[in-house]
Amino acid sequence: MTWWPFVANQWAWLFLLLVPLIIFYFLKLKRPRLEIPSLALWRSVLNDQRVNSPFQRFKRNILLLLQILLLMFVVLAAMQPFFPSGAERAQYLPILIDTSASMAAVDAEGKSRLDEVKAEVRKLIDNMLSDQRLCLIAVSSTARQMTDFSDNQRYLRDTLDRLEVSQVSSRLEDALRLTQALARTVPIETAVLYTDGNVPPEVDFELPFQLNYQQVPPAGKNIGITALNARRSDTRWDVFVRVEGTKPAPGADDAPTSATVTLLQNGKELANEMISLAGGQSQRIVFPVETAGAGMLEVRLEPQGFDALASDNVAYLDLPVGRPLAVFCPPELETFRRALQGNKEVVLYPSDEGESKAASYDLVITDRKADANLEAATFLFVGFIPDDLTKLVHMEEKIAQVIDWQRSAPLLQHVLLTDVQIADRPVSAEGIRDRDYEEAGYEILAQGRTGPLVLRKETAGRTALYLLFHTDRSTLPYRVGFPILVSNAVQIAMQHAGLSEVRGQQTGVLPPRSLKPNQVYQVEAPDKSISEARTSTDGTLAGVAAPTIGRYVIREGNTDVASIGVSLLTVTETSLATVPQLQFREMSIGASATMLKSDHPLWGVFAAIGFALLLIEWWYFQRRPGGLVVRR
Amino acid sequence: MELLSTQAQFTSLLDNDALARLEKMRLVPRRRLTNRSRGEHHAAKGGTSTEFADYRDYVAGDDVRYVDWNIFARLERPYVKLYRHEEEMHVVSIVDASSSMQFDGKFERAKQLAAAFGLMGLMNVERVSSFVCNHSGREPLFLPPCTGRVNRRRLFDFLEKIQGGGDFPIDLAVEAVLHRHRGRGIVVLLSDFLTFGDLERPLNMLFSAGLEVFAVQILAPSELDPEVAGDIRLVDCESGHTVDVSSAGDLLGIYQEHRLALEEELGILCRQRSGRFLSISSRDPLEWVLFDLLRRKGWAR
Repeated sequence: MTWWPFVANQWAWLFLLLVPLIIFYFLKLKRPRLEIPSLALWRSVLNDQRVNSPFQRFKRNILLLLQILLLMFVVLAAMQPFFPSGAERAQYLPILIDTSASMAAVDAEGKSRLDEVKAEVRKLIDNMLSDQRLCLIAVSSTARQMTDFSDNQRYLRDTLDRLEVSQVSSRLEDALRLTQALARTVPIETAVLYTDGNVPPEVDFELPFQLNYQQVPPAGKNIGITALNARRSDTRWDVFVRVEGTKPAPGADDAPTSATVTLLQNGKELANEMISLAGGQSQRIVFPVETAGAGMLEVRLEPQGFDALASDNVAYLDLPVGRPLAVFCPPELETFRRALQGNKEVVLYPSDEGESKAASYDLVITDRKADANLEAATFLFVGFIPDDLTKLVHMEEKIAQVIDWQRSAPLLQHVLLTDVQIADRPVSAEGIRDRDYEEAGYEILAQGRTGPLVLRKETAGRTALYLLFHTDRSTLPYRVGFPILVSNAVQIAMQHAGLSEVRGQQTGVLPPRSLKPNQVYQVEAPDKSISEARTSTDGTLAGVAAPTIGRYVIREGNTDVASIGVSLLTVTETSLATVPQLQFREMSIGASATMLKSDHPLWGVFAAIGFALLLIEWWYFQRRPGGLVVRR
Repeated sequence: MELLSTQAQFTSLLDNDALARLEKMRLVPRRRLTNRSRGEHHAAKGGTSTEFADYRDYVAGDDVRYVDWNIFARLERPYVKLYRHEEEMHVVSIVDASSSMQFDGKFERAKQLAAAFGLMGLMNVERVSSFVCNHSGREPLFLPPCTGRVNRRRLFDFLEKIQGGGDFPIDLAVEAVLHRHRGRGIVVLLSDFLTFGDLERPLNMLFSAGLEVFAVQILAPSELDPEVAGDIRLVDCESGHTVDVSSAGDLLGIYQEHRLALEEELGILCRQRSGRFLSISSRDPLEWVLFDLLRRKGWAR
C-alpha cells in the first residue's frame, strides 16, 4: 500500500505559487480608504487584546487564508490525489475476463455473470488513475487481447460493452500465456481474473506475476444437455442424451426441475420425453432413430421454471450414411481373414469372389510394409518393425511373453494376453527406454520383457497399430482373445469412419473435413455471418472457428457441401460449478473474498472544494458587515 | 418678540419657537458657583437681597438695622434677620470646531446647543461668553462676556459666523480657554471627545477654576453605527493618519464596547467633579434634546 496518495507529483512545483500569492496579497492589497472623524476609537479597538488574539489574527487575514487554501486545493487536484484501496497499485494492469458459456448464466434478476463482471470492470475503468494502463483480455477456450494497455477510458468502456459470451468452455492457460507475453513489453506485477469461478481447477502454468482471482456471485439453477451421441445398432441408431442439473448451494432451493426433451430430425419432431431432475443429478435418455441415410438431429430441452443458461438447452448431432466397413487383409493373413469373415458389417478385400481392391479402405490389416501406402484411416501392421523404430528395437528369434498391457486400450479391451507364447522377441537397443518410444510418437500398448510388443501411433487422420511379432509365430490365434482383438480393430476403424458411433460436436473449432484440395469455401455461421476458409493440399478443411452453437454450413459457391451442428455439451459449463481455488504448478490461488477495490481518484473532490472556497471567498469579500451593533 | 411675531427667523441656529421656549428656561447648576458681582443667583453666604433666608443671634457689632424688632418685642432677645445674597454666574461655552466635528452635522448641532445654553444664560442675566477652538496652537475664537437679553444678537452672530475645521483636540482646547477665561459658573463643553489626549486633566482644571462642567458629547450616526466591512484603510480627518483594518465588520462589536466605555468614562469623570455628561447623536431632534432631554436630565428647568 502506497503512503503517497498522489499520481502526478510533477505538479507539486505549483506550491511555489504560494510565495507570490502571499507577496502580492500584501503588496497589492487595495484597501478602500474611509475618512472618519477620529481614529481614537479604532486605535483602541485594534489595541484590544482580543483583536490581536490568534483567532482574530486569523480572521483579519481570512481572505489570504482562503486564497492559500484555494490555491492548495487546486494544486492538490492537479497532483491527482487518490484514496488508496489497500491493494497494491499496478501501473499496467491486465484484466482477464472470462467469456466462456457459463458467463451467460443469469441470476434471478436476469443479470448475466458477464454483466456482473462488466459492472466491476467498469468501476476499475472509471476509477483508473492517470498513470494507469488497463488491458482487456477475453478468456474463453482461447484468449483474445481486446485492447492494448490504454488509459483511454472511453475506448476501454466501449470495448468492454462490446464483449460477448463465447459459447465454449473456459481455459485459462492461453490467457495467462498471453499475459506473460505482454509482460515482456511492459512491467506487469499483477493480473486480475474476473470469472464466475466455472473454470478448470488445475492450470498448467507457472505464474510469473500475481493473479488476483475475482469471482462474481454464482447464478441460479441450471439444467442442460451435457452429452449427445448415437450408436449404430444394425439398421437403426440409438441416440443417447444426457441431461444434468446444477448442484444446489447449501440451503438453496432443492426442488426438482422438470423439463421436456424433444428430438427432431431434419426439423421434424421424432419423439419427446418428460424428465424431472433434482439438483446435481443427471439422467440419460435414449431415443431410437430408424434411418439408413444421413440425418441431422436436434435435441431441445425446455425446462419448466427458472433456467440460468440457455445455450446448453439445444444440441445437434449429424448421423452419417450407413455403409459396410471396407477392410483390406491379404490372403496370407488367413487367421485375420477368418476372424473378419464372420462380421456382417465388413466387406473384405481382396474378396473371395475376386474383387481385389477398392479406392480406399477403412481398415488395413497387413504384414507387408508396402501396404502402408494404401489409402486408409486405420492400419494394423503385423510382424515387422516400422522403419522409424529400427534404431530403437530389433527382433530376435526367441520366445517372448507379454509382461503387461493396457487393458483399457481400445485394441486390447477384453483381450487376455497372459501366457501367450510368441516366437519373436523384440529387444530394445541399449539404453532405450519407454520415453524414447513416446518421443518417436508411439504409445506402448503391450510390453514384453525385453521390448515393446504392441504399439500405436496417431497421426493426422490416421491411426496405426503395430503388432511387432507375427501372429502366425505365436499362440495368439488359438486364444479366445484373438477374434476379440480383430473385432476391436474393426470397432476402432468404424469409429474412425463414424460408422458405429457419432458424438455431438462441441463448440470451439469445426471438425476437420475432407474436401477438394486448395479450394476456398464459404462457411456460414449460425448468426448468418460468412467467413472463408481454404482447404489444405490434401483437401482437409480444418481450424474453422465455431464459437456459437448452431449449424455451420460449408458452401462452395451456391452449393451446400456440408452442414455441421455444434453444441456446448460440457458438464463443467452446464453444472455452473465454481472453483474456490486455482491450482497452478507451484502454488494455488484462492478466490478473493471481496471484490477488487480500485484506488478512488479524489481530484474531483479537491476541485469541488477549491470551487467552494472560491465561492466562500467571493461571498466573504462581498458580504454586508456583521458583528454586534448597539442601537440607541 | 417682534421677530417672532413677524415670523422672520431671528437666527439661523434656532427657530423662533425654540427661542421663545428657551427664553423661559433656566439652567440648573448643581453647585452655586457665582461671582462677586450682583446677579440673579443667590450666593451661598448671606446677602442683602430682599429674600429672607434665616435668623441668628445678635452679636456685638452687628448692624442694628437688621435686628427684627418684632421678634425682639415678643421674645425680648435680639435676633438678626439674614437675607440671601444674589450673585452673577458665568456661563461659558467651549465649542469644538475641529475637523472631526465636521461630520454629519455635529458642528451645527454644537453651535445650536451653544446658542441655546447662551440664550438661557443671557435671559437669566448671567455673564455669557463663548470659545470656539479650531486650530491647534492658535488662540480660540472668543466671545467676550456679555449679559442681558440685548446681547442675544451678538451671541448668535458670533456663533453663526464661526467656521469649522482644524486639529484642536478638546483637551488642549480647554487649557487654552482657561488661560483667558475668568469667572466661576458653568462651562458647557460641546465636543465629540474623540481625542488621544487625557481628558482628566482639563476636567480637573475646569473644576479648579470654579466651573461646573456640562459636557455634551455629539457623535455622528457613522460613529454610533459605523457601516464598515472587509479590509479598509481608515483615515483620520484631522491628522491624516491611517489605520488598516481587516475584517472590519467583525470588529464592530468591539468598537461598540469601546465607544460605550468611552461614554461611561466621560460620565464618571464629569460626575466625580460634580459635573454632568450627556451623549447625543447629531441626528437627534433638537427639540427633543432641548426641551425633553435636558429637562429630564435636570440640566434646565
